[in-house]
Amino acid sequence: MKIYHQTGFRYNWNIESFEKGVGDGLIFSPINIDSDKLISFKEKMKQVSFLDPQLYLLNEAKGSLDTYPYFPGNLKPDFSTPDLDNSQDELAKLCVDYQIENDFEYLVIPTRYHADNPTNYFLDSTDFFVDPFCEYLKEIKNSKKVLLSAIIKTVMLTDDEKKNEVLNWITGHQNIDGVYIIFENNFTSKQIKDFDYLLNVLRFIKILKMNQLEVHIGYCNTEALLYSIAMPDSVTIGSYENLRSFGIKRFQDLENAPMRGPNARLYSSFLLQWVDYVYIQAMEKLITNYEDFFDDSEFKPLMFKPDFKWHFAKAEPYKHYFFVFDKQIKQLPELQSDRIFYVKQTIKEALNLFKIIENNVLLDNDSDGSHLSTWFNVINAFEKEI
Amino acid sequence: MITECTSIKEFAQGGQKKVFLAEHPKFGKVVIKKGLIKSFTSLERIKREVKLLDELDSEYYPKQYHFNIDFKTNEFEIVEEYIEGSTLRDNLHIFYNNPSEIFSLLDLLIDGLSLIWDKNVVHRDLKPENIILRPNMKPCIIDLGIARFLDLESLTKTISPVGPCTPIYASSEQLTNNKNSIDLRTDFFALVVIALELYLGQHPFNESGSKYSIMENILRNNYIVENENVNQNKQMSELALKVLHTQPYMRFRNYSLFKEFLKTYL
Ligand SMILES: Nc1ncnc2c1ncn2[C@@H]1O[C@H](COP(=O)(O)OP(=O)(O)O)[C@@H](O)[C@H]1O
Ligand SMILES: [Mg+2]
Repeated sequence: MKIYHQTGFRYNWNIESFEKGVGDGLIFSPINIDSDKLISFKEKMKQVSFLDPQLYLLNEAKGSLDTYPYFPGNLKPDFSTPDLDNSQDELAKLCVDYQIENDFEYLVIPTRYHADNPTNYFLDSTDFFVDPFCEYLKEIKNSKKVLLSAIIKTVMLTDDEKKNEVLNWITGHQNIDGVYIIFENNFTSKQIKDFDYLLNVLRFIKILKMNQLEVHIGYCNTEALLYSIAMPDSVTIGSYENLRSFGIKRFQDLENAPMRGPNARLYSSFLLQWVDYVYIQAMEKLITNYEDFFDDSEFKPLMFKPDFKWHFAKAEPYKHYFFVFDKQIKQLPELQSDRIFYVKQTIKEALNLFKIIENNVLLDNDSDGSHLSTWFNVINAFEKEI
Repeated sequence: MITECTSIKEFAQGGQKKVFLAEHPKFGKVVIKKGLIKSFTSLERIKREVKLLDELDSEYYPKQYHFNIDFKTNEFEIVEEYIEGSTLRDNLHIFYNNPSEIFSLLDLLIDGLSLIWDKNVVHRDLKPENIILRPNMKPCIIDLGIARFLDLESLTKTISPVGPCTPIYASSEQLTNNKNSIDLRTDFFALVVIALELYLGQHPFNESGSKYSIMENILRNNYIVENENVNQNKQMSELALKVLHTQPYMRFRNYSLFKEFLKTYL
């Protein structure tokens, strides 16, 4: 299983980590990276990476999106009502050409986002994106692998009819090699603790794999470890929370809204959790060898110095996470049954460690192990269905 | 075109159209088909698919000499090559309890159908009556180009003109008129129903003593892989398990995967 950097605002952190051998490639984000800049990036890096075209809102020119040749607003002024003229063919051509020029590992077919999908969403997506892309790819005799992007809403996991519809749609395209799939995350907790949701995600991945599609999951947080037992082809690491949980806000032009930064957190591969630094400070006072609950990395000595100023926008905790999580993913056994056993073991050990911590330091439920029992049960339920 | 033909005889008449055997001065024996299109999806689509049929130049399909739709009366007429041989319905015995023959036939049918699947066309009405076995045993697929012009109402009439025991080869997405889900996997389903019928000498969704009709059994995915006379067979059961699902996404995603599966037994 591979691990990609989901890039965003601080994409240079990802590139710096990648250049030190962390992660297998990057998923580039047009709203944050200028088109010309991306073209100038190192070929070797791009050849193991791919582009998320980010046409979720079609003509909303967030950030540097409008520097991309395929940005709809650059094709014609009002692209909001894509009447079936030739503009979709033109868009497909420009978008494919741009990706080929960069020599990315995969070519990605974009998708649109709606708060509530219209009835004809899938038919329209086929007419507007999939068919024009596939036709153009055929025309130019493309040999690169093609990924279809898809946003999976919670109802598509919980409602059978919706689930069948989206699965039949995805698997109905003959000329794709895989999917770049994003599970929309509307949860208020930092970790996902919904048994049905998680089990349905695993089932969803399993069905796509049964269809012999490559499955690349975007916008992953720690649950990537849980998802790994359904044997996807890749998961992601990302810095800020909005790169580890998909919400459309990231693509809306709400620039001036003041952003209240969250507390800084540090990921621990032993705890399978991001722990709020205020608890780390308490642990320092109350637990001997408290550092042992956290992984080693080149950033650790710095972060555990008394004068380290924790702040969510600092690079170290994220670069630490990239390094640690990448390693953790790489340690997963290849064989599904071994992997399941391994992840369950890791969860049990984490739960034990939390018991030790909470003898002295009480954690709130965004820093504790309250997601882990659900994860464990989800794995058991999934295991029964294999 | 049609006026140049001399009629020889009328074939057994189906629900939708009349089929005649005739003689054409240049093409020799031809088959003339005439009927009424009650309602159809879009003219563009019909034109596109008619063109495809015209271009199909393959042993797996009769050559099409003429296709016309009279848009005043909505009548269509086709003149096509007459195929020597007899339908699969008349040759069931060859395949009875014979998995390897059945797999070879499926392999050929998939090769033939891949020509239309590659162009995004689905047959939608595969059944033993619509497959002619030539004297050299190569299958020829007929009756393409009609079913997909019809809406579901007329299609169900073609599917079940008589009643609960008429064999049905339609998948659940056809029976529930789930138009968006109809693609080549709909044809996969029909192919495997045919395969199992050949194997068992009995329609797999028509279990004797079942209180449900074939249509209900298809919707419930209730089928048999053995009966009093024929035992279960590993490759046939596995084939059923791979394809006979109500949801298309549970079947093979494309025909290469289908063929790959067949190859492990051929
Ligand atoms: N090209 C052909 N060559 C030989 N026989 C044919 C041909 N087309 C049709 N037939 C015969 O006529 C029957 C009915 O034709 P078909 O096109 O399947 O119409 P229907 O809609 O009635 O099923 C077939 O089952 C077959 O026996
Ligand atoms: Mg027929």
